[in-house]
Amino acid sequence: MTSYQSRLGAEEGIAEELAESQRAISIAEFFEKNKHMLGFDSEARALVTAVKEGVDNSLDACEEADILPDIYIEIQEERDYYRLVIEDNGPGITKEQVPKVFGKLLYGSRFHKREQNRGQQGIGISAAVLYSQLTSGKPAKITSRTKGDTQAQYFELIVDTDTNEPEISEESTTAWDRPHGTRIELEMEANMRARRQLHDYVKHTAVVNPHARIEMREPDAHFKYERATDQLPEETEEIRPHPHGVELGTLIKMAESTDSYSISGFLQGEFTRVGGTTAEKVIANFRDRHYGRGMAWRPPLKHEEVDLEATVADAVANKGKEATADFAEQVADRLGTEERVAHHEIVAVVDDVAADIEDAYDTTFGGTVRENAVAAAWDAVTAERVADVYALVDGATTDRKDDAVVQALAERLAAKFEDGRHRVTRETLREYVDRAADMTEERDGATVGETAREKITDALWEAAERVPDDPPRVHAVANDRDTAADLLEAMRETDIIAPPTGCLAPITAELVEAGLQKEYDADFYAAATRDASVHGGDPFIVEAGIAYGGDLPADGAVDVLRFANRVPLVYQRGACATTDVVKSINWRNYGLDQPGGSGIPNGPGVVMVHVASTNVPFTSESKDAVANVPEIEHEIELAIREAARELKSYLNKRRSMQQRREKQSKLGTILPEMAEKLAAVTGREPLDIDDTMARIMNNVLVEHDRSDGTARLTVENNAGTNADIEVTAIASAEPGDVDGATVVEMDDEYFLKWSPTVNSGEDATLEYSLPADAEVSVSVDGIEEEKLTVTP
Amino acid sequence: MSTDTDADASPEARAREQLIDLAAQFYDQFAGGDVPSMEMPTRTKSNIKYDEEEKVWVYGDRTSTRSANSVRGAQKLLKAVYTIDFLARQLEEGRSSTLRELYYLSESWDLDEAQFSSQDESNDLIEDLEVVSGVTREDFHMRPEESGATVMGPLLLREQTRRGEREIHCQEDVGEGGYQIPNNPDTIEFLDNDAAFVLCVETGGMRDRLVENGFDEEMDALVVHLKGQPARATRRLTKRLHDELDLPVVVFTDGDPWSYRIYGSVAYGSIKSAHLSEYLATPEADFVGIRPEDIVEYDLPTDPLSDSDINALESELDDPRFQTDFWEEQIELQLDIGKKSEQQSLASRGLDFVTDTYLPERLDEMGVL
Repeated sequence: MTSYQSRLGAEEGIAEELAESQRAISIAEFFEKNKHMLGFDSEARALVTAVKEGVDNSLDACEEADILPDIYIEIQEERDYYRLVIEDNGPGITKEQVPKVFGKLLYGSRFHKREQNRGQQGIGISAAVLYSQLTSGKPAKITSRTKGDTQAQYFELIVDTDTNEPEISEESTTAWDRPHGTRIELEMEANMRARRQLHDYVKHTAVVNPHARIEMREPDAHFKYERATDQLPEETEEIRPHPHGVELGTLIKMAESTDSYSISGFLQGEFTRVGGTTAEKVIANFRDRHYGRGMAWRPPLKHEEVDLEATVADAVANKGKEATADFAEQVADRLGTEERVAHHEIVAVVDDVAADIEDAYDTTFGGTVRENAVAAAWDAVTAERVADVYALVDGATTDRKDDAVVQALAERLAAKFEDGRHRVTRETLREYVDRAADMTEERDGATVGETAREKITDALWEAAERVPDDPPRVHAVANDRDTAADLLEAMRETDIIAPPTGCLAPITAELVEAGLQKEYDADFYAAATRDASVHGGDPFIVEAGIAYGGDLPADGAVDVLRFANRVPLVYQRGACATTDVVKSINWRNYGLDQPGGSGIPNGPGVVMVHVASTNVPFTSESKDAVANVPEIEHEIELAIREAARELKSYLNKRRSMQQRREKQSKLGTILPEMAEKLAAVTGREPLDIDDTMARIMNNVLVEHDRSDGTARLTVENNAGTNADIEVTAIASAEPGDVDGATVVEMDDEYFLKWSPTVNSGEDATLEYSLPADAEVSVSVDGIEEEKLTVTP
Repeated sequence: MSTDTDADASPEARAREQLIDLAAQFYDQFAGGDVPSMEMPTRTKSNIKYDEEEKVWVYGDRTSTRSANSVRGAQKLLKAVYTIDFLARQLEEGRSSTLRELYYLSESWDLDEAQFSSQDESNDLIEDLEVVSGVTREDFHMRPEESGATVMGPLLLREQTRRGEREIHCQEDVGEGGYQIPNNPDTIEFLDNDAAFVLCVETGGMRDRLVENGFDEEMDALVVHLKGQPARATRRLTKRLHDELDLPVVVFTDGDPWSYRIYGSVAYGSIKSAHLSEYLATPEADFVGIRPEDIVEYDLPTDPLSDSDINALESELDDPRFQTDFWEEQIELQLDIGKKSEQQSLASRGLDFVTDTYLPERLDEMGVL
């Protein structure tokens, strides 16, 4: 190419020559050359991606058909290749659809829907087929049986990369033991070096899909992930776009194709969450942007130089003395009651009064007369503007501003409104302020800072009146880019409630916890589901879960599990917004070890984050990492913090129990030694210090005394809170007068059970009779071991 | 207090009994299922009050509690019990030890938790025991490391030493260094004296100047060297000289806030040992100087007051011990002029100025001469 370019112009017909080699490339061909974009960049990764695409498809299919998924994955080593089998119990695919679903890229039912789904583009599984045929040369073998069919359909097919159409090499019916479902068999060049990612993927899938049963068989291993709930995810609904989420091009397209005539109808008909009131608000904002506001001025008062009434009267000619006087008086009166009037208000008043006068005096006030009256009144109202502007500027700036400076600013600003109706957009207004301020800075040596300028602009903008002009029709929006842009801005600046969340199916905090419990053996679990939020008009929900302690490996960083629409993300951890957020949180606040105060915290923990959205923004087509969208990052942070707060209180409690144990153990050395020394110094008997210990530790003390045939249990509550405990005495002989205990006999042992509530600082005594030679042991439940002292 | 000698029991036996009573108190608390604790007066400036009868400053009503409720508190009490055990045995065997020895000795105790972590800790504990048992350290047979200061002047006394009785005249039988005050001055008996008054001097340099100039002989003065903040033995001896020999006591120090505190501890008792004020303080002691007034009157060479000096002076204005007209006037004057002077600044007027002019004038003014 470069050689051609260097001689451009020297040779005739180059363009024609080049055109011969220019042709459309099929999408399949494109991806053949760009496998990495779909996650097939290495042999190791290809296997993981193929499993992922197959399983995602199967889960989506099952859920759409309200079937609890039962998925079987098998990986076989086949000489030079790997054979991958994925089977589900989904609804099956009709004979006509099978070739397209598996043999055509970008074929799918979901791309145009605003609804939460695992797959969206319709690339995944056909890309796996493509990869398989490219590396092994073998076709994909697909079996599918729809419910009620006696036989299953069997296909062998490849993707024709030239045309992006399926090429079927075999088609038949076959018997299959599943009553319905789909099975795909692919052979591909691959290796198992990414076994960890593969296992992570399957395990994490099991965590976020507690309703699925997944089985995976590998050459040397076999895993089963059982179902933890029979509850299928909520069905999702499709929604219309949200006004905050469309882009200019989309808006224009929508405006072109809508049936609506007015903007209001268009907004209400094509967008979600827009009713009459919201549409009005959007249109009001649109007017401000599109038409600007009419600057309003204080009408002259009676005693002022300019006589409004006289001016109006002078402007009216040939209408009879009385009618003219009455007209002028009424106009002046009505305008005089207003604090400020804008041009369009004068028009309205003049029209109104003119109509009245016409009726009363049986005369006509035609268009020209009215125009003259309006122009005269407007001139009168706008004759003196500096004082008005001065009041606004003075109110908007701090009292530190020099009076002369304010005056100079006001004069310059007032001069900007020269002729016409004084219509300004906020932008223009700001320009006026900037120019006036710059000039004041230059001439008067005063500074007018950014904040002051903004405040002055605000004050003027507030004083201006919104104009009553009708908004244009929808076709005008479709035809004029600037109008469309004004409408889009107006939509964005209007507060509109978040889109409905029926289109989303969060896992729910409860099931996040259940999923974690199922796959991780920890001491503590917490989960949080945030309310839905919006980014770019697509609603999204973030959920977070934390598991801590137990058998989780204590060395090294915690595991971060990332999910998007219930799909685990196992690659490109470092590029993901989730990881960034986890790193940015100060985990020390939540009781975790975090070297340097940032980064992934250390400890026996798992942090999982699930982002569910109608359109999860990924960093690339291979959908490995969530893009850094501020709204999403913010919600991720809040979700994690919500779960982490529970972790903190758990860890604090654990720590305080630990401290309690330490205190108990320290005092357990000190006090007995002290008691022993005291007995020695005073020459008295050895001491029993259990009571003292219980009191110091604020413990609940349970003492068991026996004398002759009577046994007595004393419960002394030294703690600051009431104690609801269960005291059980196990005796080897039958007790009597059991003081309200429930008695159960088992294998010649008698279980006496009391459930006393002992208030803070009080005692309770439980008495029963028991033969003196009987053996008895006492146990106490319903209170932490650290807070309990039982004697003897 | 062990000064009221009990005819029936030796001071040792009485001290021992008091300690064991304290242990018995802890024992009873344990036996009753209570948390062992000991209560003692709060030892801060805000909790000392003037005892009209004794004319000294003693602890007020506020108390604080050492309790086994916390690990720290329990450890303190454990150390107290170990120390009681040690002291009881020491008294039984008729031996004595120094505060420092107690600190090192704790290293040999079998339980790590009972050992002292610093000497301050063991010193404080001994003071605590003094306060709660009402027995002085001397009666526990605990000595400080450094012995008391010295006395020079016309006084004949008999000291009960470990090696028998010694009769000593504090001018004739001693060198230029003077008579060394023993740790327990209650072993001294005063036999005879020609003294007119007791002059307590803060610094060694001034004390040597007075002795060299023969001030003790000329004026019949008992020159007691305070060596900075005076040891208990020094204060006890001063009090006995005043009470038993009926001698007026005057205190001569530098003219700065820290020196006023030295005077304060001689005259009113110190905050840390307010429980012993009746035993150690000489409320009749008078302050000679250097007064801020002297700085002005004699135009003495000065140093400017530092920030910490100013703070100390202001804190003295709040100190109940210094709330007299004299001190308020002097301290305010000093804050006003912003200057301080040392005793030896008097040398700017010649070496004999202090003995020939300053002291005679001041003592005359005060009615001592």
